[in-house]
Amino acid sequence: MPRIPTATLVRAYQENSLLPLLLKECRSLDSARNELRWLRERALRDSPSSSRLAPGARLGWRTRLRSMCRQRSQGVPLQYILGDQPFGDLEILCRRGVLIPRPETESYTYEAARLVRQMALEGGGNSTDPTSATRPLRILDLCTGTGCIALLLHALLAPHFKHMQIIGIDLSPIALNLARKNLDHNVRREALHRRARADIQFHRADVLGRKASSIPAVEEILSHYALKSGLADISVPAPRIDLLISNPPYISTSDFRNGTTARSVRLFEPRLALVPPVGFMGQDGDRSEDVFYRRILDLSLKVHAQVTVLECGDIMQADRVVEMHRTMTGGSRCNFNVEVWPTTEQDLAAHGFHPQDGSRCVIIHGGRDG
Amino acid sequence: MLRPHPWPRISRGLSILGLDVTSSPSGTGIARRPFTQTPSCPAKPLPARLKINDADLTISYLKGTGPGGQKINKTNSAVQIIHAPSGIVVKCQATRSRSQNEKIARQLLADKVEVQEKGDQSRVALKTEAARKKKASRLKKTRRKYRGLEKEAEEDGSGDLEEEGVEAGVDEREAQEGKLEKGQST
Repeated sequence: MPRIPTATLVRAYQENSLLPLLLKECRSLDSARNELRWLRERALRDSPSSSRLAPGARLGWRTRLRSMCRQRSQGVPLQYILGDQPFGDLEILCRRGVLIPRPETESYTYEAARLVRQMALEGGGNSTDPTSATRPLRILDLCTGTGCIALLLHALLAPHFKHMQIIGIDLSPIALNLARKNLDHNVRREALHRRARADIQFHRADVLGRKASSIPAVEEILSHYALKSGLADISVPAPRIDLLISNPPYISTSDFRNGTTARSVRLFEPRLALVPPVGFMGQDGDRSEDVFYRRILDLSLKVHAQVTVLECGDIMQADRVVEMHRTMTGGSRCNFNVEVWPTTEQDLAAHGFHPQDGSRCVIIHGGRDG
Repeated sequence: MLRPHPWPRISRGLSILGLDVTSSPSGTGIARRPFTQTPSCPAKPLPARLKINDADLTISYLKGTGPGGQKINKTNSAVQIIHAPSGIVVKCQATRSRSQNEKIARQLLADKVEVQEKGDQSRVALKTEAARKKKASRLKKTRRKYRGLEKEAEEDGSGDLEEEGVEAGVDEREAQEGKLEKGQST
């Protein structure tokens, strides 16, 4: 990490004595100014107003602001200090022990919602189409964390689909609690429709399906749903899913330690959500950071997912996932259309992605027999 | 000038009598009358907001440099919009929310494009003009008030001047000032 020039530090100090504290984590004056503004707004909002002082005056907000800046300088993520993070039009609550939603994930969620709508418009007319009154649109969100993807998808798709069923799966009970709290929070803020309470469900399950653990595998949860809705089909072991979306842990143990992972992330965000378990034996010589993808692709084939959207760490990892999917389907048994997004210059610029480095997602269309 | 509005007393009287004003079946509309005396809409309605064609816009989210994803937790949420026909660029990083920033940036852009197209007749120009007039009138009233108070103090001091003459003098000066004001504004 390059040293901050003394001139910048002096300028920051002259502007506001708290700015150098924030500069430690922000690294640029511009973003430090922004964070100071947001922190000040929050400090003012949370401090009790006094009837003795002038109207609008707040008690102790300066002390509060200083302690928040000090926390930030130690590397505590801004979202843990403020307690929330905007995601689309939603406000997602953030607590220690649960991964903070990233802007890239927001872009992928918007893209996924666009694809689902497009699919529904193209496939209009036939009976298995989710726009029809009988069959709900089914979405499965694996490793849901704060529940941000599941909730934003509901907010984006609810005006277009009468019936929806969104299932969010996570291993961590803390994350599940927070996801349910977020659902409630956003329904109360009226950012989500009231029917979201019935449409969205969060369950605890192990995506990796480890035999030793007492936590159920994802299939068990899904078969329970199939029984409940009376749609259990003998030929299909699990109900058909329209969209399978996931942001699984994808950082390798070496990347976690060698400085590519930011200090703030390493120290304060849960390792469970970032690095796949080391002890888990992947098949066919998979890298340890890719173990989740094989399991999720396997599930995606089982539930005949129409669209699968998987967040990956970088282009190399995305390419490995595409290759994994090719070998798993054995060439061209079904007409799958697999792409890495975003790749065009226009998409990259519009969504603020780095042209070579940085996160990408793999989008798999199909699963229909051709 | 400001007389107390009649209906609060009436409604209190009715409620003392045990009558519910809001659901009165007579439909006199007493309860529904607004309790404010300022008109709810401005005297001259502003022209409609300029509609900007989405095809002319290039919206981009600026997340700063470097890779993103799980490895880094960025707080930058700036949105930049370029309007191709006029070449106007607007950037907004007011809030932490990308969608909120986009809304603000769109509004800023619409205002800027309108100013460029219509000049003095744009919403922004009309609004600032209205605000300027309001401020000028308020200042005038303040000046008048303090001048009156000063005069009164002088009178108390000397005590011999005739009241009517002084008041007339003040009125004359006000009238002159009013003319001046008009001259400036036109």
